[in-house]
Amino acid sequence: MLKRTGIPTSDDLQSVTPDKERLLEGPVAIIECFNEIPCDPCFYSCPFKAIKKFDDINDKPELDYSKCTGCGNCIASCPGLAIFVVDYPKNRLSLPYEFLPLPSVGDKVWGLNRAGKSICQVEVIKVKDPDKNDKTAVITIRLSKKYLMEVRHIKVGDLDE
Amino acid sequence: MILLINTDLLVIGGGPAGMTAALKAAKRKAEVIIVERYHELGGQLTKQTHRFFGSKSEQAGTRGIDIARGLTKEIQNMSEIKVLTEATAQGYYEDKIVTVSYQNKFRKIRAKRIIIATGASEKMMLFENNDLPGVYGAGAIQTLMNLYGILPGKKVIMVGAGNIGLIVSYQLLQAGVEVKAVIEADSEIGGYLVHASKIRRTGVPIYTGHSVKSAIGESSVKGAEIIKLDENWQMITGTERFIKADTICLAVGLRPLVSLLIQADCAMVYVPELGGDVPIRDENLKTTNDQIFVAGDAAGIEEATAAMLEGEIAGLKAASEIGYLSEDVVEETRRLKRELKKLRGGPIGRKIRRGLSKVRGDDNVKKNRYSHLR
Amino acid sequence: MNEDMIVCRCEDITLKELRDLIAEGYTTLDEIKRALRLGMGPCQGNICLEIAAREICKMTDKKMEDIKMPSKRPPISGIKMSELVGDNQNEK
Ligand SMILES: Cc1cc2nc3c(=O)[nH]c(=O)nc-3n(C[C@H](O)[C@H](O)[C@H](O)COP(=O)(O)OP(=O)(O)OC[C@H]3O[C@@H](n4cnc5c(N)ncnc54)[C@H](O)[C@@H]3O)c2cc1C
Ligand code: SF4
Ligand code: SF4
Repeated sequence: MLKRTGIPTSDDLQSVTPDKERLLEGPVAIIECFNEIPCDPCFYSCPFKAIKKFDDINDKPELDYSKCTGCGNCIASCPGLAIFVVDYPKNRLSLPYEFLPLPSVGDKVWGLNRAGKSICQVEVIKVKDPDKNDKTAVITIRLSKKYLMEVRHIKVGDLDE
Repeated sequence: MILLINTDLLVIGGGPAGMTAALKAAKRKAEVIIVERYHELGGQLTKQTHRFFGSKSEQAGTRGIDIARGLTKEIQNMSEIKVLTEATAQGYYEDKIVTVSYQNKFRKIRAKRIIIATGASEKMMLFENNDLPGVYGAGAIQTLMNLYGILPGKKVIMVGAGNIGLIVSYQLLQAGVEVKAVIEADSEIGGYLVHASKIRRTGVPIYTGHSVKSAIGESSVKGAEIIKLDENWQMITGTERFIKADTICLAVGLRPLVSLLIQADCAMVYVPELGGDVPIRDENLKTTNDQIFVAGDAAGIEEATAAMLEGEIAGLKAASEIGYLSEDVVEETRRLKRELKKLRGGPIGRKIRRGLSKVRGDDNVKKNRYSHLR
Repeated sequence: MNEDMIVCRCEDITLKELRDLIAEGYTTLDEIKRALRLGMGPCQGNICLEIAAREICKMTDKKMEDIKMPSKRPPISGIKMSELVGDNQNEK
């Protein structure tokens, strides 16, 4: 139960996941923002107007999967760190990361699920930390397809731990 | 002789509410003094290293500390505003004068209008051994960590899953501190779920329906005994569990800082939804004392976007009452009120709306909790 | 429940002391303040007064709204005598 544990349920997740067909087409944003809070920066960050304009600032974000290119611009704009980009065909996931040290390209790190459990090893393939992101780095990792929808965080450091 | 300073508008408290209030009034050419008890402006914002929520047009997505820097710079560029830091407003007197201790000197300030934007203070919680060294308020931990770069400990138990508890947990994690658990008495997480999810996925468990029974340790915290609560928040014996930690951080709520308002004889009501005693006021944030406005957390615990909007509304109104009228005031005030209404419109704002319904009107004035002092 | 927990940190007052006093018939904050010095330390009751008010409510079946609050006199925080007597002549 999301409200008791902080872990979204599969129902919650289903409501923000595009269908298989869209996933197979290429990268797309998954916005895991489940309660109506007064917040709207994600809308302003999307260059393709894929996130619908908020009628009411309390609305939940609504993504038009057909307009989303998976560019990842929105990831670092979200103060809730709730936006991820999944690239199904390429087995890639991009996520926001605000811890130091940042991993380096090529590093093998732990992939953590939404409950914080290390579930698999993943490979870092991109680290973006431009000034405009204001210290929220966007990390792209490669991982096994079956974990694409499970891994939502990484742990940098010794893999043996 | 204690020096007396005259001004149009006195703003007490230099947080987001006070800063925007001063700016709005000064832009209409009012002469403004801000008194701030710390050595710099910014209030709570100076401790917030995370990105802010709220409306993009009121700077959401920007880190709190950067919002403070931006506003401070704007204020420094206004010749109409005089900022006194390390200046604590100490009292309000019948002759409408405020006393201030300013860098160890006493001053009296007489202003045509006063905006009180003193923010809030932290609530405490009762449990056994709550005076053991290692028990901190979340504010103290933020000050240590984000202003002075000092870690409070290595393993922390956070009490309270409201936004503050969740955000401070995240900041502790970023500083390399282990957060052993977040304990919340309510059956649900009170803060934004995105904050909860973001600490949860780093591996921090969140125990809702739990409380701290006692802090364990002889001379300092070695851990805490936590316990399950039933629906009526009563402890269920037999469910105690020990968690090892060297720090217990309390984030169990804030209460508006209203002493000056009480001294100024503003009618006060107890509104739990807004954090405690708050002043009765009209929609321009004017209290029942004609000289005095209130804005921000001092008017009721909310968040920075609301504090800034309230500050702007009060600043505008105060300036026009002093006589600095400009054509756009009506339109501008209307826009600000619309923004504020939108912000409070959603489910998160429900509690605030309920609270606000208790701070208007003559019936509520009669509930003044301090009327016996008159 | 163990009542040996601190209600007012400034004046080191425990829950037990507070409850005993309420049971004796001290049921207003003003009385309690005078008897125990609760709320008269450096923080001026910012922390303890609400806790005490809640205990009175519990033990006397009152509502928080009905508890009369003690006055808040200036100065709000501690100040030095030198500030008051004014060494303003030292000013630059
Ligand atoms: C951990 C944490 C995270 C938060 N995150 C967010 C967020 O993401 N988004 C959001 O919108 N809000 C957030 N907030 C809330 C936001 O910080 C506050 O609502 C906002 O700062 C209130 O503004 P204010 O100006 O009313 O009060 P404050 O910021 O508290 O400022 C009050 C100022 O008054 C001064 N003062 C008090 N008494 C006196 C006196 N007698 N004389 C002189 N000066 C005095 C104080 O020193 C202080 O500087 C957060 C708060 C906390 C604690
Ligand atoms: S990934 Fe790019 S296109 Fe898709 S929502 Fe985010 S910013 Fe818009
Ligand atoms: S910016 Fe993030 S938290 Fe805010 S509405 Fe968009 S997705 Fe939700």
